[in-house]
Amino acid sequence: MLNDFFNGKMLRAATVLILFASLGGCATTPVQPWERGRLARWDMRWDPDPLQAAMNDHTHFSKEGSNGHIGAAGGGCGCN
Amino acid sequence: MYRTMILAALLACACNAFGATRMIDVGTQAPSFDLPVFGKKGSHIALSDLRGKVVLLDFWASWCGPCRQSFPLYEKLRAEMPARDFTLLAINLDEMADGPTAFLEENPVGYTSLADPAGDVARQFGLIGMPSSFVIDRDGVVRARHTGFKPQDVDALRKEIVDLIGNRDAK
Repeated sequence: MLNDFFNGKMLRAATVLILFASLGGCATTPVQPWERGRLARWDMRWDPDPLQAAMNDHTHFSKEGSNGHIGAAGGGCGCN
Repeated sequence: MYRTMILAALLACACNAFGATRMIDVGTQAPSFDLPVFGKKGSHIALSDLRGKVVLLDFWASWCGPCRQSFPLYEKLRAEMPARDFTLLAINLDEMADGPTAFLEENPVGYTSLADPAGDVARQFGLIGMPSSFVIDRDGVVRARHTGFKPQDVDALRKEIVDLIGNRDAK
C-alpha cells in the first residue's frame, strides 16, 4: 500500500486533491465595499486611543533614541 | 488528464480572483429595485417610479468618511436642480439602523434615503468603493458613474445632470 502510494497514482491523486483544496481558499468571498462597516469602527484600529498611542511612541523613541521609527520625519538621532 | 485538471483548477482560481465585482456599465439599463424608505415604515420607492426624471443615485454608509463630506454638497446640488426634472435618491447600506439615524440627524438633507442593509442593490450595481453614485437618465439608463467622493466631483456631476435635463426637448 505504502509502496503504491509513493511511486504511483495515489501520490499524484493526493497532490491534485491538495491542490484543489488549497485553491478552494481563493473562492472565499471578498469583503464588499458596503460590508466594511465593522472594519471601519474606531475600536478596530491598531491604536484605538491616539493619546495612548502617542504616549507609547514617545516612551519608545525616548528609550531607543529612534525618533522617526514610526514614520515621522527625522533621522533617528534622538535629538528632538 | 492531470494536466487538464490542474489547468481547470487554476482557471477557476483566476475567475474567483478577477470576477469578484463588476460595476454596471454606462449605457446599460439600471437594475430595477424597490426599497423601503429609511426611517419611514411602510413607505417604498422603486426606481421605475422615477422614470421620466434624471436620477442621481448615491450609495452611502454612516461609517464612510467621504459620505459625510458629500451630503451637504449633494443637498446644495439638489436644491439647484428643478424638482420636476431631477431626483436625488440615496441608498443607505448600513447593516444596523442606529448609525444612519444619528448620521442623518447630524447631516440633515432634503432628499430621501432608502435602506438596503443586505446590500442587494449595491451588489446589482457592482459597487467597488464607497461612496458610489450613478447618474441615471429619464429612461432608466446609467449615463455616468462615480466611485469615491471629492468636492470637485460635484462639478462633473452637475454638468452631467444639466446635460441630461436639457436633452429632454431634443428627444
